Amino acid sequence: MPVAGTHADEETIRLACRLAKRDKGKVWAVSVVAIKRALPLDAEIQSEIKKAEEILDKVEAIAEEEDSEVETDVLQAREVGPAIVDEAVERGVGLILMGISYKQRFGQFSLGNVVPYVLKNSPCPVILYQQSSVGK
Amino acid sequence: MPDSLPLRPGDRVFRPHRVKRFHLKRVLGIPGLFSTAYGDVGSSIYYALGVVAMSALGLTPPVLMVSGIIFLFTALTYAEGATMLPEAGGSGAFAFRAFNPWVSFVASWALMLDYIVTMSISAFTAISYLGYYVPVLKDWPMNSFGGIVVVVFLVFINIRGVQTSSRLNIALVFIDVITQVSIAVLGVMLIINLPQLIQNIHWGVAPTPNQLLFGISISMVAYTGIETVANLGSEARRPEKSIPWAVMLVFFVVITLWTLLSMTALSAYPVYQNADGQWVTDLTQRFLNDPILGIVNVMPLNIRPVLSFFVVFLAVTILIAATNAGMLGASRLAYFMGQRQQLPGVISNISARARVPANAIIFFSIIAGALITTGQITLLADLYAFGAVLAYTAAHASIIALRIKEPDLPRPFKIPWNIRIRGKQIPVTSVIGGLATFITWFIVVYTHEIGRVVGFAWLALGLLIYIFYRNSRKKPADEWEIKLGKK
Repeated sequence: MPVAGTHADEETIRLACRLAKRDKGKVWAVSVVAIKRALPLDAEIQSEIKKAEEILDKVEAIAEEEDSEVETDVLQAREVGPAIVDEAVERGVGLILMGISYKQRFGQFSLGNVVPYVLKNSPCPVILYQQSSVGK
Repeated sequence: MPDSLPLRPGDRVFRPHRVKRFHLKRVLGIPGLFSTAYGDVGSSIYYALGVVAMSALGLTPPVLMVSGIIFLFTALTYAEGATMLPEAGGSGAFAFRAFNPWVSFVASWALMLDYIVTMSISAFTAISYLGYYVPVLKDWPMNSFGGIVVVVFLVFINIRGVQTSSRLNIALVFIDVITQVSIAVLGVMLIINLPQLIQNIHWGVAPTPNQLLFGISISMVAYTGIETVANLGSEARRPEKSIPWAVMLVFFVVITLWTLLSMTALSAYPVYQNADGQWVTDLTQRFLNDPILGIVNVMPLNIRPVLSFFVVFLAVTILIAATNAGMLGASRLAYFMGQRQQLPGVISNISARARVPANAIIFFSIIAGALITTGQITLLADLYAFGAVLAYTAAHASIIALRIKEPDLPRPFKIPWNIRIRGKQIPVTSVIGGLATFITWFIVVYTHEIGRVVGFAWLALGLLIYIFYRNSRKKPADEWEIKLGKK
């Protein structure tokens, strides 16, 4: 499951842990740091890496509360969507679970760029989870 | 220590840094690498043909082929270096590992000049092509003003962080190749005239030996963007296979097209002696800043409007993309130099808000803008040649030195055709390429007066900044190095 530090993450992680426990699966959470082309891909932007680490710390803490284990990773990539799909293919994951928060663009509800890309190109089933209380 | 256990006096909690989590996502395959590299290299024909033909005259096609061989050897060197040391610094990164920070600085600073000139020459030429539809943009100072507007626009885009589409880039390069191939095929069918091409050559007179040397050295500008290979090393999937394939593909496409296009141009615009007794061609007299439009101008009337539209549209988009590539290259190189204490933090630091080295982008774009104001494409080509061959020589020398110093360093791609000297494998192409680029640099220094003056001034300015910066730091990193060995 890709995590971005939004309000939706917490519930999504709990759901992922419960699903994994039921099917004896494994949860793998990834935070993707997007690096602009003005920098080399291996550039270490401390503020971004720190942010990603904090997000994953939170993920681990929630998983611990759920009595589950979660594997976490930070990825640096040029674009978030292709990085998620590519990693899912490489790892052969069975399900992508993404938490989304309510966002508007030009006054309309918007899923952004990443979610549609993953939905279109994912090699496996995708579950989108949106918190009911957020943004309403 | 788990948080659930109560801490006792003297206990300390240690949370190790999770380095293992840090992964890079490499996604570029051969098509992606080809399109990015060709997007840079392929753009140069839009200005290089006129600049080279101005001095090489009837020998332009063979001159472009000779420099194409140098390009191939240099590209192979970059391919080995980029897969071995996948860092953004290109020749500067190779020299840092092979020699010392000073050589690395000179190589990086020369490369920085190339990136700046790439920005200037591409933005300036893009506007010159646009002048086909907006004639006011054809002449100075409006073409310079337009070029500066392009640079300012790209600075804004890069600092604001608008995403560029890689799919759009691939599509543009694809249409560009198709258009260039179409012009070349039409040229072969309708225009290329071998007797005329032979008549264009007046041995020892047009070009004179000096002009020929000048032409060979300035023809390096036809291969702008070769450093892209080094930049992409860290983003290539299976670099040991994809990078050499992409390099060879770019080489064959480029050398075929450049040769055919130059033959077409010189068949259509023969070399002649003007009223002042000088040997010239109308390609450079009338189309110096937009030579491909010169070729289109001699095509049959019924296809001319369509071809002109495609050439102008593609030249403008590809050249703006090349300007952007130069800006991104300068930005990445500034980051690399900042990481190695070669550039003050005030220039190289990453802006917290923009998450790119915003000051570097602005600083080097101002210099690029200043160069555009001259409105002299030959000056820009001179400067490019000065920086490029210096950086290429450093790259070749570094690859050879690393084969000697660190023969066991993992090399995902190793240049073939090696000779064994004292048990070390030395790549023949790097030796020939290194000698060729070094000799070319001497020719540039000897024959290009403006290039020599401005080029050396650039190096001197850089070295002054570097020396001042090193001295201003109380304890440079290398002073902390613990020397191990016998006393």
